[in-house]
Amino acid sequence: MSTIQDDDRLHYVTRAADLKPGDRAVIECAGREVGVFNVDGTFYAVGNYCPHMGGPCAEGLVTGMFDADEAGNVSFERDGEILCCPWHGWQFDIETGDHLGHSKKRLLAFDVVLEDGDVYVRV
Amino acid sequence: MATETQRPQQVDDLDCPVVDADFHLTEQVSDLIPYVERPWRELFIGHNPFDEDANYYDPFPSSGVMEPHITTGRAEIFSPDAVRSADDVIEGMELLGIDYPLVTPGAVMLSLGLVHHDEVAAALAHACNTFVLDQIVDEARDVLATITVAGQKPRLAADEIDDRRHESGMVGVYLPTGGLNPPLGDERYDPIYEACERAGFPLLMHGVGSGTMKSFPVQYEGFSRGMENHVIAHPFQHIVNVVSMVTHGVPERFDVPFVFQEAGIGWVPYLMERMDNEYYSRRDDAPMLQAPPSTYMREHFYYTSQPLEGTQNSPEYVCAMARLMGAEDCLMWSSDYPHHDFDHTADIYRVFAREFDRPVLENVFGNTAYEVFFD
Repeated sequence: MSTIQDDDRLHYVTRAADLKPGDRAVIECAGREVGVFNVDGTFYAVGNYCPHMGGPCAEGLVTGMFDADEAGNVSFERDGEILCCPWHGWQFDIETGDHLGHSKKRLLAFDVVLEDGDVYVRV
Repeated sequence: MATETQRPQQVDDLDCPVVDADFHLTEQVSDLIPYVERPWRELFIGHNPFDEDANYYDPFPSSGVMEPHITTGRAEIFSPDAVRSADDVIEGMELLGIDYPLVTPGAVMLSLGLVHHDEVAAALAHACNTFVLDQIVDEARDVLATITVAGQKPRLAADEIDDRRHESGMVGVYLPTGGLNPPLGDERYDPIYEACERAGFPLLMHGVGSGTMKSFPVQYEGFSRGMENHVIAHPFQHIVNVVSMVTHGVPERFDVPFVFQEAGIGWVPYLMERMDNEYYSRRDDAPMLQAPPSTYMREHFYYTSQPLEGTQNSPEYVCAMARLMGAEDCLMWSSDYPHHDFDHTADIYRVFAREFDRPVLENVFGNTAYEVFFD
């Protein structure tokens, strides 16, 4: 198994303790801007580039989404798990990078590696 | 024909200046108040949104439509403070790579046509122009703007155009049309057109989302000719109903083939793309949908072809629209016989046969309708 030092695709983000649930860090690495999010204790990373028109998506509002049952009763779900582009409000699932309404549009999603209390992103 | 390598690869490669013909301010009432002139200013003192502590009157009516991506702050770029100075305009020009923005009001003044007090509407237009000339227009930095006028007072609007047309940096006239009634063909608006002609200025017309919702059916009644009505009567009614049905998940909740008749076809791909565009930004308003609106418009809705626009002048347009709407699945040929504008089978077939092969033609001219009605 490779160590952190051997993997040149891994980039240091921050101490895990400094990225609390609900927090994010946007870093530059390997020529990309990447947003790293702590969602309820789990870390996710997505590209800071909206597939719509190139807005800085990882800097946008983190919120939830509306859903409806078969009878049309509306509920608000997944609060804290949905990322919104600050340009046009396109919404993405932070975990997968998938757009909520467009099956072919997604943010680049990157692996996050935790080691010795440090957060790394694989880009 | 230009090859790929000859064709400019990006906007920057073009030799022309890049002009943005709809670039907005986010002007707020507080920007306008210092410029509202007496006597109308007296109407507001102490009882108005110009006074932050007495905010119970707003001259700009709204139907209160909630835009989820805006009310939540999700689309952060559209904030009240986004574009309220020349520097803000420059920031937008740099973001978008624009050489010349035609700057027009894009916040409270969008609802100018809904202001019920006609003289106040004209006074607000006048104030807005003074504000724009004082704080926004900057010809040295290519920030150009337009003269805003209130349609409620066409003669005052004409005066406004005449008075401002020589101001440096003003290059057009901007008429907020949301809610204006009667529609713009009424002779009362002629002074505005005459003034634009005198100035040699184009007239920019801009609706407003919220206000239009309240005013449109009323505005429609202002038509005074049958043609005005008939050109849009069928497609507009369908657009209203399709938008409403899809947004509320009717095709998700009911297994019914819905057939929209007698509106031609061009509105269908237009509405499909327009609905999808909106949905990508605000699916919160349509949480019942499991797919983008166009999917429902293709798979659950059907459209009859007559009166098929474009057959006489532009058969390639007809084929393009048919292709874009997915005609093989959702278009049903129809004649409307014996109505005054019926289509003839042979004529319509000749147009479709330019592009489509037997399976598509058979669907359009019979199979699809047969399956929907008889199977």
